Amino acid sequence: MAEEGGLEGSQPVDLSKHPSGIVPTLQDVEVNIFGIIMCNIFFDILDLVIEYLRNIVSTVNLDCKLDLKQIALQARNAEYNPKRFAAVIMRIREPKTTALIFASGKMVCTGAKSEQQSKLAARKYARIIQKLGFPAKFKDFKIQNIVGSCDVKFPIRLEGLAYSHGAFSSYEPELFPGLIYRMKQPKIVLLIFVSGKIVITGAKVRDETYTAFENIYPVLTEFRKNQQW
Amino acid sequence: MATFELYRRSTIGMCLTETLDEMVSNGTLSPELAIQVLVQFDKSMTEALESQVKSKVSIKGHLHTYRFCDNVWTFILQDALFKNEDTQETVNRVKIVACDSKLLSQ
Repeated sequence: MAEEGGLEGSQPVDLSKHPSGIVPTLQDVEVNIFGIIMCNIFFDILDLVIEYLRNIVSTVNLDCKLDLKQIALQARNAEYNPKRFAAVIMRIREPKTTALIFASGKMVCTGAKSEQQSKLAARKYARIIQKLGFPAKFKDFKIQNIVGSCDVKFPIRLEGLAYSHGAFSSYEPELFPGLIYRMKQPKIVLLIFVSGKIVITGAKVRDETYTAFENIYPVLTEFRKNQQW
Repeated sequence: MATFELYRRSTIGMCLTETLDEMVSNGTLSPELAIQVLVQFDKSMTEALESQVKSKVSIKGHLHTYRFCDNVWTFILQDALFKNEDTQETVNRVKIVACDSKLLSQ
């Protein structure tokens, strides 16, 4: 896992993919100092915005019926309360993730910081189930959602943005302090906060989060709030 | 009133069970009565812990393993620090089994 993280962190930056200057990095500790230093250098030179992947949700079919109570009794770090939720909730520390395991053999894996880590975690859960004596397979693994975040480091006039992009925006400060921007192409939801912090969600592939940010960045600069001292 | 048999594994519970076993095997006590005594022990322990114990202990350590199944929490802690008002002690490994006493009154 350390190698994977390291590889991710030290991948050469393809700036053609990031015209606005977003260099994506993973938020893992494994991104390591090397990655951070690299990003900082680029940040200084090119005024980059770094996008972090915060959460990956994936699903897989273990393709066998499971006895959840037996799993809860035998596996470590498992919770099973059928009165509240019809799945075993299991956690592992590396990659730090949570899995929901259903009696049908379907499994949801959440919390990983990259696609590879999500798959690795899902494989580890499948292995745990196998070790408990179930003929678990690893069918139809799919990334269902990717959540990323970044900070454009300037404040944003959300009212103005909501007004001029009314068709895509929902801004109800009394309900939620962020502006919800439902982009049509790619079909991505962005949460935009006054502080300049952005959350990008709804992507099935990583590039969609990058495209969404490339699309929104000029809009954000347009509605940049002038600092009043 | 339903009770947990949880406290039979405590030192006092083990001693009571041993004594009862001995009395049953040498014929001074009928097995039925011995069982009844154990059930009373379960009740009395629950009541006593609820009403007579005022002291508080805090336990803090690295959570190695947890489990929740059949309404029972199981925790294995490493290097757990047990603290009460006047003393503290570190235990290398400790297993905590906890039941929800609210379930008894249902």
